[in-house]
Amino acid sequence: MSVAEAKSKGPLGDVVMVARQTGYEQLAFWRNRIGAIFTVGFSTVFLVLLAAGGGGSRISFLGNIRQIQYYAPGFVAYGVMSACFNMLAITMVVRRETGLLKRLRLSPLPNWVMMGAIFVNALIVAAVQVVLLLVIGRLAYHLQLPHNYLALILAIVVGDICFTALGVAASTLIPNQEAAGPSVSIVFFVLLFLSGLWFPLKSGSGLARVSSIFPVRHLITAVFAPFDLRPGVSPWSWNDLGVMAIWAVVGAVVATRRFKWEPRRG
Amino acid sequence: MTAVVVEGLRKRYGAVDAVRGVSFSVEEGEVFALLGPNGAGKTTTVEILEGFRPHDGGRVEVLGYDPGNRSTRRGLRERMGIVLQELAVEPTLSVREVLTRNAGYYPAPRGVGEVIELVGLGEKANARIKTLSGGQQRRLDLGLGIIGDPDILFLDEPTTGFDPSARRAAWDLVKALTGAGTTVILTTHYMDEAEALADRVAIIARGEIVATGTPDSLGGRDAGDVEIRFHLPAAIAAADLPVPVESVDGTLVKIKTDQEVQVLHKLTGWAIRRKVVLTGLAVERLSLEDVYLRLVGDPGGAAEVAAEPRVKAVS
Repeated sequence: MSVAEAKSKGPLGDVVMVARQTGYEQLAFWRNRIGAIFTVGFSTVFLVLLAAGGGGSRISFLGNIRQIQYYAPGFVAYGVMSACFNMLAITMVVRRETGLLKRLRLSPLPNWVMMGAIFVNALIVAAVQVVLLLVIGRLAYHLQLPHNYLALILAIVVGDICFTALGVAASTLIPNQEAAGPSVSIVFFVLLFLSGLWFPLKSGSGLARVSSIFPVRHLITAVFAPFDLRPGVSPWSWNDLGVMAIWAVVGAVVATRRFKWEPRRG
Repeated sequence: MTAVVVEGLRKRYGAVDAVRGVSFSVEEGEVFALLGPNGAGKTTTVEILEGFRPHDGGRVEVLGYDPGNRSTRRGLRERMGIVLQELAVEPTLSVREVLTRNAGYYPAPRGVGEVIELVGLGEKANARIKTLSGGQQRRLDLGLGIIGDPDILFLDEPTTGFDPSARRAAWDLVKALTGAGTTVILTTHYMDEAEALADRVAIIARGEIVATGTPDSLGGRDAGDVEIRFHLPAAIAAADLPVPVESVDGTLVKIKTDQEVQVLHKLTGWAIRRKVVLTGLAVERLSLEDVYLRLVGDPGGAAEVAAEPRVKAVS
């Protein structure tokens, strides 16, 4: 469909534009083969390594579940974060510093269409990782799949929104391309470590209390809930979703206040 | 019809007045060049016209739109083409893919195949952008500028960093692309570029327009002083000449005058009577470069260069 036709359909025309723009985002993402493989494959590689190391050991304070039952949702959260926060923050810095954002700003493409395409692109990259993790977890390690997919999808979408906002916010704080990769990775891995990705945290422990300030722990527990096999545990973690929503707002405010369309001076 | 109206335009960056009351207008179909040194305010002026930057004072109108008005911004963008100083597109996409994608942003774009042929990238249509040479990337950039079939095209220093033959090729391309009634706003710091492309030139320095006119008439080139040059004949001192002399450099004598007919008559009459030869006798109007240098004064004031927001630090 040409855009002229699309435009005659009013707001729907812009939705078509988002889909089209997302298509090109995806094309550019997968064309960069090494980048794509690292972005998509890391979560699965970590899951396999941890499953191999942990063997069949169990986590006593989570109803004696096998470790894979915790690590699989943990790396689903990792996948969402890596796609939305890491990939997006770095992409935005590179695009700003190479003048790509300025060029887009000067084209008729509405800002929200551009941002929408970036968001949907990150969601797709996250979804690919989730599917990969669940399939490999199921086939290789007898992962018990979530008992409530709606709760899982909601947790992923809220996480996606939260970390997209934070990713754009982070990009506004990073001065240049060289600093983008290292600074994003440090924030990412430290927060994941504190939030109990590598070793589960007992709720109420000191570390759990500290890390519950940040959104990462809430994404992990929200994604874990539908995988939680203990009887009577709800798959819906409204508290976690609420904290992520607050961080999403914080991220969005920083992002819109500080957003720059052109390379930083000096 | 008037395509661009600028009246008393002002823009400050912190304590620096980047643009200080600039006024000009550009007719539809005209190629208008803003010529000036780095930091003169030309890029800031153009970025305000493009709607990329807000202005602090004065009035701007582009194709009848206020470029700062958010509600009509998209309509203006759909009729505007832009060629920036650097190509900025995803390096992994191909020439055809990028042009096709961007064509989709406009209501009535030119054909993708047609534009690829126009900018001479037919053989590279399916090549990834990162494999293109610098010159090919600039041609793609021009292609992206015209893909939306714009009514107004902004060219920001389109040949900076080109070698001389690549510049001529780029000029020919710009002339071919813009022949059909497109209004063009060109910024450049090359005199010959303004002379080759522009119908009208404005010289901008320290945030102000110091002269406007056709390249031939700018700064009184067609009316003002001419320079008469010749080599001093042997055994004759400059003081013996029948006309006042501006300078003597070795044997080269330079005379500046706006009365060239009378001066030449006196000089040649005297030479014939004295039976001396005036070797290398030449009469020349001020070059555009002379006019430019006279008008912009010291072109490299450090503070002015720092004030230009687009200038990147050398790292």
